[in-house]
Amino acid sequence: MTTKSPLVFSILTECGTSKARVSRMILPHGPVDLPVFMPVGTQGTLKGMLPEQLEELGLQIMLANTYHLGTKPGTEILQKAGGLHKFMNWNGCLLTDSGGFQMVSLLKLAEITEDGVRFQSLNDQKAEVMLTPEHSIEIQNAIGADIIMQLDDVVKTTNPDKERIEESVHRTTRWLDRCLKAHQNPDTQNIFPIVQGTLYEDLREKSAKDHIERDVRGFAIGGLSGGESKDDFWKMVHLSTNILPKNKPRYLMGVGFAEDLVVCCALGVDMFDCVFPTRTARFGCALTRKGQLNLKKEQFKKDFRPIDENCPCNTCKNYTRAYLSGIVTVLPVACHLLTEHNIVFQMNLMKDIRQSITKGKFPDFVRDFMLQVYPTKNYPSWIIDSLSAVNIKLK
Amino acid sequence: MKFYVEPLSKCTQRLGSLSEIESKPTVNIKTPAVMLHTQGGQIPHITHEVFKLVSRKSQILQIPLAGMHTFKEAMQYYEGTISSFIGSKDSLSCLTLQDPCNITKQGHHSTLKVPIWTKNGKVYYDAKSYMDVVESFKPDIYFLLSDGDTNISSSEKRIAKSVSNTMNFYKECLDRHRKSDALKHSFVIAPIVGGYKQISRERYISFILEDMKNVDGFLIDGLHNNGPEAEFLEFNEIEPIVRCILNKIPTEKLRVVQGCWNPVNIINLVELGIDLFDTSYCHILTERSAAMTFAIEITDQTNTYEINLRDSKYVDDFQPILIGCECLSCTKYSRAYIHHLLSVHELLGPILVMIHNVYHYLRFFEKIRSCIQNNTLQTLQLSITEQFRNHQKTK
Repeated sequence: MTTKSPLVFSILTECGTSKARVSRMILPHGPVDLPVFMPVGTQGTLKGMLPEQLEELGLQIMLANTYHLGTKPGTEILQKAGGLHKFMNWNGCLLTDSGGFQMVSLLKLAEITEDGVRFQSLNDQKAEVMLTPEHSIEIQNAIGADIIMQLDDVVKTTNPDKERIEESVHRTTRWLDRCLKAHQNPDTQNIFPIVQGTLYEDLREKSAKDHIERDVRGFAIGGLSGGESKDDFWKMVHLSTNILPKNKPRYLMGVGFAEDLVVCCALGVDMFDCVFPTRTARFGCALTRKGQLNLKKEQFKKDFRPIDENCPCNTCKNYTRAYLSGIVTVLPVACHLLTEHNIVFQMNLMKDIRQSITKGKFPDFVRDFMLQVYPTKNYPSWIIDSLSAVNIKLK
Repeated sequence: MKFYVEPLSKCTQRLGSLSEIESKPTVNIKTPAVMLHTQGGQIPHITHEVFKLVSRKSQILQIPLAGMHTFKEAMQYYEGTISSFIGSKDSLSCLTLQDPCNITKQGHHSTLKVPIWTKNGKVYYDAKSYMDVVESFKPDIYFLLSDGDTNISSSEKRIAKSVSNTMNFYKECLDRHRKSDALKHSFVIAPIVGGYKQISRERYISFILEDMKNVDGFLIDGLHNNGPEAEFLEFNEIEPIVRCILNKIPTEKLRVVQGCWNPVNIINLVELGIDLFDTSYCHILTERSAAMTFAIEITDQTNTYEINLRDSKYVDDFQPILIGCECLSCTKYSRAYIHHLLSVHELLGPILVMIHNVYHYLRFFEKIRSCIQNNTLQTLQLSITEQFRNHQKTK
């Protein structure tokens, strides 16, 4: 019997200026180079991409959603299949959320009690179902992802009711303990606690400090990217990474815009996820370092350049903007082509971040990157402020 | 491009090859062959990149104008061929008029013009505008413009109109072809029209026999109006008219039929000496979530003809679509997973079904060629017909 830890984290290089770091995390299904962006494969598949293609791209980890998979195909089928990795033929790493976020965001009728989240099921019976911390972990154990999330008490980020938020912070920690107790596979799956507290500094501090006392191998920062101002957003990330221990990975949930990734890496975040790159592909949007291209626009009809001349993806190697422009939002395959490009875009951005940190050039990289996005240097104040908080001056 | 075929008799099975292609001298396509049906330049659900995981062999892409009309203007400015524009420069292209997967709406006629249905509605092409497109597309193979809007119940008046329109198109298109430098290497397929009236077919054929220079093959047009209905055409209804045509046309030229013929009719048509088909049948099946499971070899372990993967009985069936099949879908994915993908409307569902269907259909054509070689086509025909009949009974 092996007693190897299901998560071995090692920092390789720290940025001499900011809180950014390059590290490596070894999970049961392989290594993950950090900082990493994890694309979202909600229902056990990533928007028209074959796992073979993702492997070819060098993708190391993706996310799947517990709420969706628990509904369909359900734990019984997943167990029979031997877990999600086998079911979907993905040999890389997986991370699952707890299902709590979907419940609160998708289901209007969700009611949160100390026991768990009560909601009306979306399946045919429309039965009332209770998602408890224990049940969430049970589903996540059946899915078998390398990293799993505690069920947290999600409050809308913009909700100002401090009393309710304080309750959610304490309840989230109580639920964390129930999750850790219910966890059946501590040797093969890692539970990450989620730091809550929305935009209240004292509550976020309390949440982070309570969680770091637990015996866990990494932490998530939740309750952000929910419509709050960018000024509030970065301060909460900054505060959280200041408290979370250096020697464990930090995962910022629901963040995926290129600028946010660059800033939050500077603030010391190691892992990100977001549906944005794959969702926007469906609507005909391709990501580039200079901004998004909406390929449906008339201006691309006779543009025989690739989306991005420097992009190594197959879509940029084989297709022109003119061609893509004629098929986006018409053919499903166009969605596959743009999804591949957008995933490669995110992966390359993260690779460049890692390389620049390794070479001790991260602040230069950040300045060059921001200049590409804002050629006239009209940087938003939140970017200037957040970077300056970690000693990177833009101007 | 040259077509070599043997034996040179009128209505018997034959083996041939398309080779000596100016731009692709090493390519050699063995007939009877099947073109890969595309829409907007892509095999439905399978990008050219994914197709490389299905087969590495050279293929002919069937490119219906209906899905390419949107690129008409762009192609006037594009310097390459249509194959490279759509991202598959190593494939041969065959430009056709109507899409075999979509029903060609009847009526809408106009003298010396043919309607096609694009994503933006009905568009008329005449010989000039059609040849303009052909010249800018520079396909390896193309069909001359035709008015093939006839089927078994067409009126005499409609047939007469179809014949006279197409005679005009024939002359005008060929004139233009002979003057065109861009098309000097393109292989020309002349559609033969005349509905189910032998006298009209004969009249049309004697007209083209008067001047057949530069014509490299024939399309038996006007047998059906495309779309899913072609799958259920009875062979005894089409056989007399097909025989009548084949008895009149020169034997050394390529013979093409278009449409989603079922495997039984494919073999029947091969026995009459048809050389080239298309994969629209694969797409029609995939759209109804059906996968081909008929036995090609006696050793294939199957007792079904096709299966519908939406059926809830596959929810926990972890077998491949077809045991022993070596396609990507069958070697890596289970019926249960594909059922899950189809039931939650994920893009990967039809991708995996289509990969299997195209692989199976290509394998079926390989078997047909080897049976002709070994003089055992009749055995295959009996086996496929029996499987098809049993399937019809159980439906």
